[in-house]
Amino acid sequence: MLSFLSRKSGNQVLMNLALILITLFAMLPIATTVLISFKQQEDITRKPPNFFPCDTATQAFDWNACRWAVEGYERVIDPEASPSSLLGFTLTGNMIRIYLPNTLLYATATSLIVVLLAGLSGYAFSRYRFRGHGALMTAILAITGVPLLTNLLALYQVSIDLRKSSIPFYDDRMFIIVVYIGFFLPLSVWIAKGFFDAIPRELEEAALIDGCGPLGALMRITMPLALPGMTAVFLLTFVNVWNEFIAGYLLIATNDFKPAMFGLYDFLGQNIINLQVIAAACIIIAMPMVILFLFARQSFFRAMTEGAVKG
Amino acid sequence: MQQTMTRFVDKVRLRNTFPFWLILPTIIVLLVVQVYPAIYTVWLSLQEREPSGWVFVGLENFVRLFNTSLFSESIGHTAIYLAGYTSLTMVLGFFVALLLHQVTRFSAIYITFLFIPWIIADIIVGMVFRLLVFPDYGLLSGILQNPAFFPPDGLSVLTAAPSPPWFGDFPFPPAPALIYLILASTWRALPFITLLLLAAMQTVPLEVIESSRIDGANGWQVIRHIMIPLMLPTMVVALFSLTLNGMNGIGMVFSLTGDGPGTSTEVLSYMLYSIGWSQLRFGRAAALALMIAVVNWLLISGTLRITRVNN
Repeated sequence: MLSFLSRKSGNQVLMNLALILITLFAMLPIATTVLISFKQQEDITRKPPNFFPCDTATQAFDWNACRWAVEGYERVIDPEASPSSLLGFTLTGNMIRIYLPNTLLYATATSLIVVLLAGLSGYAFSRYRFRGHGALMTAILAITGVPLLTNLLALYQVSIDLRKSSIPFYDDRMFIIVVYIGFFLPLSVWIAKGFFDAIPRELEEAALIDGCGPLGALMRITMPLALPGMTAVFLLTFVNVWNEFIAGYLLIATNDFKPAMFGLYDFLGQNIINLQVIAAACIIIAMPMVILFLFARQSFFRAMTEGAVKG
Repeated sequence: MQQTMTRFVDKVRLRNTFPFWLILPTIIVLLVVQVYPAIYTVWLSLQEREPSGWVFVGLENFVRLFNTSLFSESIGHTAIYLAGYTSLTMVLGFFVALLLHQVTRFSAIYITFLFIPWIIADIIVGMVFRLLVFPDYGLLSGILQNPAFFPPDGLSVLTAAPSPPWFGDFPFPPAPALIYLILASTWRALPFITLLLLAAMQTVPLEVIESSRIDGANGWQVIRHIMIPLMLPTMVVALFSLTLNGMNGIGMVFSLTGDGPGTSTEVLSYMLYSIGWSQLRFGRAAALALMIAVVNWLLISGTLRITRVNN
């Protein structure tokens, strides 16, 4: 890339230096949270606070005297000895036992259905011109921008009514998954349409002329080519559901069905000064998403550049 | 021959109802989860919950809302929050994007690390920033609460009351907690805006920049008179998207300040929650939700218009 502000190599060094500083600064809150999560209670509640729990009576910092601890993590996952289980212990913390599996279920179910629906309608919008094509697309684009917040009151009332009515097999889990699908689908339709636009339509036309039905052309020719794009839609939706807080907090009544973000908020109330417990819970929940991002960042960026200008 | 084939395929495409079946599931989901609750909210805003059931009260909810003193204060907080958070994010985002645009190497590595805050849930970001300034025990509290740096008593970010307002009832200057909320929100929003602006920057044709350099323009003049005008549509879209998210974001207020100290960080989105779910006045909360929705719609239609013109 051509640098236009200046072509001196000295400026390159300066700019890299500035970027390194900015990156470090951006990482600082995360680094301190990791640091806090490995402290023990005595080192959390002391005045004035010290950055590293490594001071001794004589020295301010002694590497060998560091009192690192994992009690924050222990209190989140709460391992208990159990001879019957495979590893000799089971994790009894609510976070591991209830909330995280719920989040995993919601995120997976929502993303799968969103990929299916967004794939179908994105394909239709990309390949067909029909009456109302433009109006429907504009409508979906407009809905993309609508945030959850203003619809929450009505959704909450609906959730109460549905709970009272005795629909067989119905519980809050189905409700929240449908709500999540409704809220993350519009953006995904747009992203999917963008991916389909990039696949040459001559390939399908050849298949159509050779006698393949439209559904066959979609499933056999286009879908395999669209797989990277659909993966990106899946990952983006997965992260969005994983990170969502307010709907999961308000629309689910049963404790057993509540998601991880609720569990985290609950921790905040229970552990007023156990900062290491809060830090450990934050890390346990955020870590899977950060790892997912680091491994699949191309996918995320692809989905974002496709959806960014629109949403 | 080629032409007849295309015409044949087009005919097939126009005549059959196949695309409608592909889009139908998406439309049903959006009608149920997005359109129906929006209409429900309008109805709800004209009702009041009585022991006997919902009672029609007309515009009473709006009148009562306007007469709540917290309402105007909350608008003030929201205005200050949005002004601070959007301008800070836009300026910093432009600066970082410019640096990333200029460096000749490693920019992919910087982007990867700078992007991590975006993948972390807002409620977790709030907790992480809360840990830093937790009264007495937070790692930054050691510095901030030191009277030597912040006379006379040191600064406890989460508990310090705002200074008396300068302009009548308008809550300015804001409480330290609100400023801190702005900083935390900026930290999380910065990566997305940076990437958006960087993408726009990369579409500015190099020839234009080159020729202006030959004509003797300096770096600042290139930015001011060439880059910013060409990037303006994207910048406005970025600004609208930031405002939309800031207006409706609620997770960070929940976990960082919980609208305190007092009500000094009560923004409209949190007020919606507290009227609805703490005071259980759903009619009044729906009236507030409608007002927020109107602002949302203005922002969305503005974004649509800009992206339309651009395409």
